[in-house]
Amino acid sequence: MTSSRPDSAPRRLVIVGNGMAATRLVEELVARRATDTMQITVLGDEPNAPYNRILLSALLEGTHRPEALTLRCEEWYAEHGIDLRLGARVLEVERDLKDVMLVDGTIIEYDALVLATGSIPTLPPIRGLVRMDGSLHESVHAFRSLNDCERLLEAVSATDADGELVNRRAVVVGGGLLGLQVARALGARGIDTEIVEGADHLLSQQIGEAAGKILARDMKKLGVSVYTGARAIKLTDTSDAPSLAGTVKVLDPLPTNPGRVALRLDNGFTLDTDLVILTAGGKPSTALARRAGLDVRRGLVVDDRLASVTDPDIYALGDCVEHDGRVTGFVPPAWEQAGVLAGILCDESVKYDGSRIVARLRATDLDVAVLGDPEGEVLKGGDVVEMSNPVRGSHRKLVIRDGRIVAGALVGDLNRIGLITQHYDRQTVLGPTEPGDLLLVERSAKPVQLPDDAEVCNCAGVTAGAIRACTSFDDARETTRATTGCGGCSSAVRQLLAERSSLTPEGIK
Amino acid sequence: MTETGGERVTRTHCPYCSLQCGMTLQKQGRTALEVLPWAEFPVNEGGLCRKGWTAAELRGHRERLTSPMIRDRATGELRAADWDEALDLIATKIQDLQGAHGADAVAIFGGGGLTNEKAYQLGKFARVALRTSQIDYNGRWCMSSAASAGNQAFGIDRGLPFPLADIEQADVVVLVGSNMAETMPPAARHLDRLRERGGKVVAVDPRKTPTADRADLFLQPVPGTDLALALGALHLIDAAGAVDEDYVAARTTGFDKVRRSVASWWPERVERVTGIHTDELRQLVELMTTNEKVVILTARGAEQHSQGTATVLGWINVALALGLPGKDNAGYGCLTGQGNGQGGREHGQKADQLPGYRMIDDPAAREHVAKVWGVTPESLPGKGKSAYELLESLGSAESGGGGGPRALLVFGSNIVVSAPRATHITARLESLDLLVVCDMVMSETAAFADVVLPVTQWAEESGTMTNLEGRVILREQATTPPAGVRSDLDVIAGLADRLGSPVPFGTDVEEIFAELGRASAGGKADYSGITYDRIRAEHGVFWPCPTQPDGTIHPGTPRMFADSFATPDGKARFLVVEHVGAAEQPDATFPLHLTTGRVLAQYQSGAQTRRVKSLPDDGPFVELHPMLANRIGAHDGDPVMVRTRRGEMKAPAKVVTTIRPDTVFIPFHWVGANRLTNDALDPSSRMPEFKVCAAEVTA
Repeated sequence: MTSSRPDSAPRRLVIVGNGMAATRLVEELVARRATDTMQITVLGDEPNAPYNRILLSALLEGTHRPEALTLRCEEWYAEHGIDLRLGARVLEVERDLKDVMLVDGTIIEYDALVLATGSIPTLPPIRGLVRMDGSLHESVHAFRSLNDCERLLEAVSATDADGELVNRRAVVVGGGLLGLQVARALGARGIDTEIVEGADHLLSQQIGEAAGKILARDMKKLGVSVYTGARAIKLTDTSDAPSLAGTVKVLDPLPTNPGRVALRLDNGFTLDTDLVILTAGGKPSTALARRAGLDVRRGLVVDDRLASVTDPDIYALGDCVEHDGRVTGFVPPAWEQAGVLAGILCDESVKYDGSRIVARLRATDLDVAVLGDPEGEVLKGGDVVEMSNPVRGSHRKLVIRDGRIVAGALVGDLNRIGLITQHYDRQTVLGPTEPGDLLLVERSAKPVQLPDDAEVCNCAGVTAGAIRACTSFDDARETTRATTGCGGCSSAVRQLLAERSSLTPEGIK
Repeated sequence: MTETGGERVTRTHCPYCSLQCGMTLQKQGRTALEVLPWAEFPVNEGGLCRKGWTAAELRGHRERLTSPMIRDRATGELRAADWDEALDLIATKIQDLQGAHGADAVAIFGGGGLTNEKAYQLGKFARVALRTSQIDYNGRWCMSSAASAGNQAFGIDRGLPFPLADIEQADVVVLVGSNMAETMPPAARHLDRLRERGGKVVAVDPRKTPTADRADLFLQPVPGTDLALALGALHLIDAAGAVDEDYVAARTTGFDKVRRSVASWWPERVERVTGIHTDELRQLVELMTTNEKVVILTARGAEQHSQGTATVLGWINVALALGLPGKDNAGYGCLTGQGNGQGGREHGQKADQLPGYRMIDDPAAREHVAKVWGVTPESLPGKGKSAYELLESLGSAESGGGGGPRALLVFGSNIVVSAPRATHITARLESLDLLVVCDMVMSETAAFADVVLPVTQWAEESGTMTNLEGRVILREQATTPPAGVRSDLDVIAGLADRLGSPVPFGTDVEEIFAELGRASAGGKADYSGITYDRIRAEHGVFWPCPTQPDGTIHPGTPRMFADSFATPDGKARFLVVEHVGAAEQPDATFPLHLTTGRVLAQYQSGAQTRRVKSLPDDGPFVELHPMLANRIGAHDGDPVMVRTRRGEMKAPAKVVTTIRPDTVFIPFHWVGANRLTNDALDPSSRMPEFKVCAAEVTA
């Protein structure tokens, strides 16, 4: 049953989600003046105005102020006649009635619905992580929302009666991009930080073992220990279990502080710590879509029009979608989808055909960039051009197919990163030596003895020979007008005159 | 001119760029001139580049035109004619065309190298004698984006709101798209002094130019991404809490929206768009936030884009957030390009403006100016088309034109070389019923004309210019022009008379300047308190310089914005701008960025400098990186072919490591480069996108 509406009534667009994808979609719609003909409602379950989620680790590290994360203030929505509802969690989508119901019972009808529900953090199977009531253990932190970030910031700055930090040690569970950023941020705050990663090297989804090892070494230099090939299996309160007989205490740098919790690994080690931060990846948030009977595999399945393959009036974008068998979890593809979806909602003939992804680590003194899917492209037969310098701590790899950079992984040295990503994004056809040249450091020209016909003063057009023929700086100035323009050649002129006099016996002062 | 005894010495200014370096001309014999320093003039302190030193060589040049030329109907060749015949012919043709097709059938195209007096007379001539709305000038292709941005943000457009030498006392100077060491070499002395004092220079340019060689920090962005860089810089400034909140609250409006808009320009995103490493962006921001006195200067590199105005606004937002404009030795400025790029845009040469930087659609402005001119406000035409749009509309549709004006009078411009998408524009010129070109040599544009009028050049006439600082200076006549040559002002007066203008047009420059002053009085660019004598006595006078109601002398305004901005509420405006990028992006067929610019020894379309023997003229070249040269099999010195969607040209390869490997550079002083450039226009300034388009290069 569909509610019958006069044709002249504005189209009602309801967007579920208020994250970066949804915000971008609204901006793109506003840029197209869609609000003239559409009545837009945005339902965000977080209490905050939309913010730049990917800068949460920068907020944690202290390089960004919290206010600088806000993408749009509530007034902006009002100015454009958009109904923004914060703290509005959607309970159900009724496709037959074309409406959504919020947890408070409010029902909102739609003509078109956009699901931008994002992703939810994966909870690793660690016993003791979740309490009986379903909430996280107080020492355990997720790192997905601004609220999570604020709670962690509170925890790392909490002090006791003596002004001492309460929480001085942290274990980050998960050695992916987010885990590294969070670990680096905590390290930069002076928290003793360790990373536990189940795979045998860091960033295992993106980079190979050699690069991963270099990264682990970089982390170590920055004061963060790394345990790879180990999974956390059990969390206990140290007060609950004062005796940990039979376990080995590893690398405890603060023997006087036993830590508030103990995290047991499957290799038998136990890490004493005050905080556990879960960054073990996320998965598309699809519960709502699934309940509504939409086709969901890894994510909510959409076609090239970003519409659900089950219901053409329901669109989706961002982390929650699966397009062409892929889910992404990055902002740039979500934004590209936002541009395309805004066009589709405004009846432009556009379609989405996938995105190129550059994953860039956002953390001070950690240089990592991953272009596309290097491991996958190698399996597909791409040629690998690789440059490894473990002495310097760099490992760089480009995967080339048909002369184009189809993927890459750069660790420890991002020289020419801007150029490499340009070639990757634009799929420039390179020459045979070019991928190698891109990984080499540019040689600086050695100073040479200037030939007499070399121009020294560009402004006045004076050659080295003409300067050498002069008796002094003032003479050169008067007779050749060298140095009288921009003055940039003054030192070169002095140098030439000095060299010349050193060659002549009487020239020695 | 001092001509007592053997001295025969004139203090004047260089004929070329907006620096308008002071120089001394000494007469040698009857007509020859020697260029000598004028050490006291503060902008260049006696320094000149080789263009200035050799400026007098064009005098007595064998290619100098000394007789009007008329295209013979029978042979199609130009033949010499006398002035009356030429002017009569032009006037008759104009009257015929206007009689048949209306006043707008005749258009005027001026130049940013013309004196203030000429620019003023030209605007008045168009509106009063021709009564056409169709007048614009090549300054549109110079600094118009910065002009538009300045008007929007500060309520006024003066290239530099402070004397250039002020930058010596700054802590940091950020140059966005300026190659001042090559394009205005004596200006670079101020950078050197700054560095001697321990100040830092930042250069942003796709090429590591001689200016970038002087920089402490060099950022090499993808052409057309300077705006993304500005957004990224403001993002980090805000993230670090380095915004000058007190200044923003007291002296600006609109920051909140701008602040939100840059929240989505985090460094890694900026890196992906601009090709600039996040560390380098952080270094730039560190320099700007840890120093008090920061100067941000833009030039053509940032401005000649379809997003030129937005790009400048982006950098102005950075300057305002840091609380710079109005502070001593700090702020934002534009390094204007053409000799009178500043003055040329203030006196009515622009399609939408009347003298004093008044807008032609403002009834009060029309009334004021009409009164000075002795005509009725209703008689003044309205807004015309901008430079490129005007040229594109030329010629009757039947003869392959754009359906716009059928006659064009060109003063001080060489359109065939300098217009973007030049082949197309040249065809439009050919479709005209009448093309009149005033020039001193047979320029590429003059060669297409129906009538060529030989005019006086610098040193043979007097007149004021307004340099990049807003300093009104006086170029004095130093010698007599060759026989047969007349001033542009004589041409205007002669035509106005023949066309039955309701008011006469004089030719006395000082009288015209005084009238210009009255016309500008009360306008934004108020010249009414400036006289030739004051200019001589004070090394130039900075506008605004009004006449004071109490009769006291206004000192002029070297530094602006100390207390308020020229907006109605006195506050500077933050404006939200979004990066869109170049109109034409590289693709599989045209995989490279092409950018254009200048070389030291040449000036603009080269009509003058290419004829000066002492200036090397090796012709155009294609600058490319060794990686690209290897890719396409090009060798240094061998010709390569450059193609775009609009044209192609062949020129020798110049293989250098100083350019981005995804970009090629061609200087535009010769016919060729602008056959390739894109005519996409900035929506606000109508600036064509000279600085970037997609190209293919083959060996």
